[in-house]
Amino acid sequence: MIRVVNFLCVALAGFSCLALYHVSERTRVARVELAHVNHQIAQERGLNSVLEAEWAKVADPSRIQQLATTRLGLDDSTSVQLASLEMLPRRGEDQAPLSTSPVRKANVVVPAPAPKPDPRIRLASARTGM
Amino acid sequence: MNKSPPAGTFQRRIVIAAAFSVAAFALVGIRLVDVTVLHAGSERSHSADRPDFARADLLDRNGRLLARDLPVDDLYARPHTFWDKAEAAHDLSRVTGASEARLKRAFNGKREYVLVARQITPDVKDRVMSLGLPGIEFQKDAKRFYPEGRGAAQVIGETDPDGNGISGLELGLQNRLRNQDEGAAVTTSLDMRVQYILAHEAAMAKETLDVKAAGGIVLDVRTGEVLAMMSLPDYDPNGKFGEHDSRRNIMAQDTYELGSVFKIMSFALAMEDHTIGLDDWLPIGKGFKVGKWTIHDAERMPAMMTARDVLGESSNAGTAQIALRSGPVRQKQFLQHMGLLSPVKTELPETARPQYPSNWGQIQTATVGFGHGISVTPLSFATAAAAIVNGGRKITPTFLKHYGDARGEQLIKPETSDTMRGLLRYVVTNGTGKLADVPGYNVGGKTGSAEKNVNGRYVAHKLLVSFCAVFPIDKPRYLVFVLLDEPHGGKGGIMSLAGHTAAPLAGRVIARIAPILGVPKEPVLADAKENS
Repeated sequence: MIRVVNFLCVALAGFSCLALYHVSERTRVARVELAHVNHQIAQERGLNSVLEAEWAKVADPSRIQQLATTRLGLDDSTSVQLASLEMLPRRGEDQAPLSTSPVRKANVVVPAPAPKPDPRIRLASARTGM
Repeated sequence: MNKSPPAGTFQRRIVIAAAFSVAAFALVGIRLVDVTVLHAGSERSHSADRPDFARADLLDRNGRLLARDLPVDDLYARPHTFWDKAEAAHDLSRVTGASEARLKRAFNGKREYVLVARQITPDVKDRVMSLGLPGIEFQKDAKRFYPEGRGAAQVIGETDPDGNGISGLELGLQNRLRNQDEGAAVTTSLDMRVQYILAHEAAMAKETLDVKAAGGIVLDVRTGEVLAMMSLPDYDPNGKFGEHDSRRNIMAQDTYELGSVFKIMSFALAMEDHTIGLDDWLPIGKGFKVGKWTIHDAERMPAMMTARDVLGESSNAGTAQIALRSGPVRQKQFLQHMGLLSPVKTELPETARPQYPSNWGQIQTATVGFGHGISVTPLSFATAAAAIVNGGRKITPTFLKHYGDARGEQLIKPETSDTMRGLLRYVVTNGTGKLADVPGYNVGGKTGSAEKNVNGRYVAHKLLVSFCAVFPIDKPRYLVFVLLDEPHGGKGGIMSLAGHTAAPLAGRVIARIAPILGVPKEPVLADAKENS
């Protein structure tokens, strides 16, 4: 009986050695593959990082505005061209209603894109600034 | 015939073998637990070839990229491996832009390892590789890249070649940028849409009015967040520093006598202490005498004006009288309380100490009342002005994104803040700030045109003009402060005053940023005049 047990133990030990070798070899291969994948991930991440930076550069507002102006003929809209929520018609209503808020006439000039000194302005009306 | 060992010997050997087996399996088991449980995942953290990003990304409040470390390489060479050192120096110089003379000297020297160029981009690396030179080595590095270029150069700042912040938020947020987890970013308060509009309008004003310098700030008066800050001239952090470029952030590190815009503080003090009523009359006439000095207005004013119109028309003589009602001690205490007599602290390392009179007497009180004799940074002034209009509570300016109301200590009474908002609106509807108004957005503000002090004398035709605007004035949310150094508006200097230069600039900025920032627009009739 003791011989059988000894034989089984030795066989188990041998089998363990083989299994261990197999696992260690698979681990080595997996480690090489992992290093390769990690390297690829790092490369992709680097490229992605560069692409994101490049996108941020090409989507720069100044470039967008230049393209919108030159290619699409767009310009800044003045605030009077924008509607307030209160002036939008509600469902089922024909006309745009006005809420209880008073509608005020703008008593000011609408800012233009570039300041151009008005040569006609009279000195007396120019008391502004200090 | 061999004599077999006794049965006891067998048993002893079996026990020893079993003990060895148990010990071996136990060791294997312990190691398994160690590898799979105790040190699980440690292998992943050692993954090789990951580019070494020393600093985290900087983002604007909407997640837009402001600064990022990009993977680059440092290029080294082993000169003793070259067949023809002169030709190698020539080729490498042509491809990398390095000095050919320096490379020749280095290749002919005694050093075995020579740095050819730092932070070369992937395309340059490809061209170097295509040269087919032996003895070429690359060392991974990172280069800070700023996609917005000049957009907010002085605020974002820059790093040196070793990745250390040397100015702006790159220096001020150094620890945060260094200690962020991999992949995490630092989100700033800046809104690059607002920043672009501010910079674009200021650049147009700079060109049209031929100013020496221009600057602007957009501040959230409830949170203290700086949404935009720009300073012209600026520079390109990705390119070469030009002859007319400047790294100086005039809004944070320069102090100015801001002139009449400072009257906001004098009126806030007067309203807080009830030293004058808005409809009280004040003698203006031909000036106001303080001791041997007479304070004049730059333009002809009526003989008598109400306090409301003193601010509306920006009378120095009237404001001097109002300031003197508070007196030097109270005025100094108030300005100290508003934070104007100490440097403003933000994440920006660039700051400046304000200058104010060491001997604060009657004449100093009068002049400080209308913004002369005291120099503060525009950021410091904008912060104090924001506290005046936001209900009277202190805010701390910040360049980091902040959620929710950050108003702190009550600096002035809420009623005073309410009165001041009404006064600032009056300046825009009836006073010097008309050109700053934007239909539907109820802008309030104050102009400032200060004569510059050159060699101890105030020069009439050298003006520093500014405008401090708040909108929407009923429930203030944003403050826009713009500044122009020596505008040339023509017409004998009249058209150079803030009402014709800084005020319309602020108005144009507000007209463009208000819809972007989601500020509710009030209904207005569409037949408002267009200024063409």
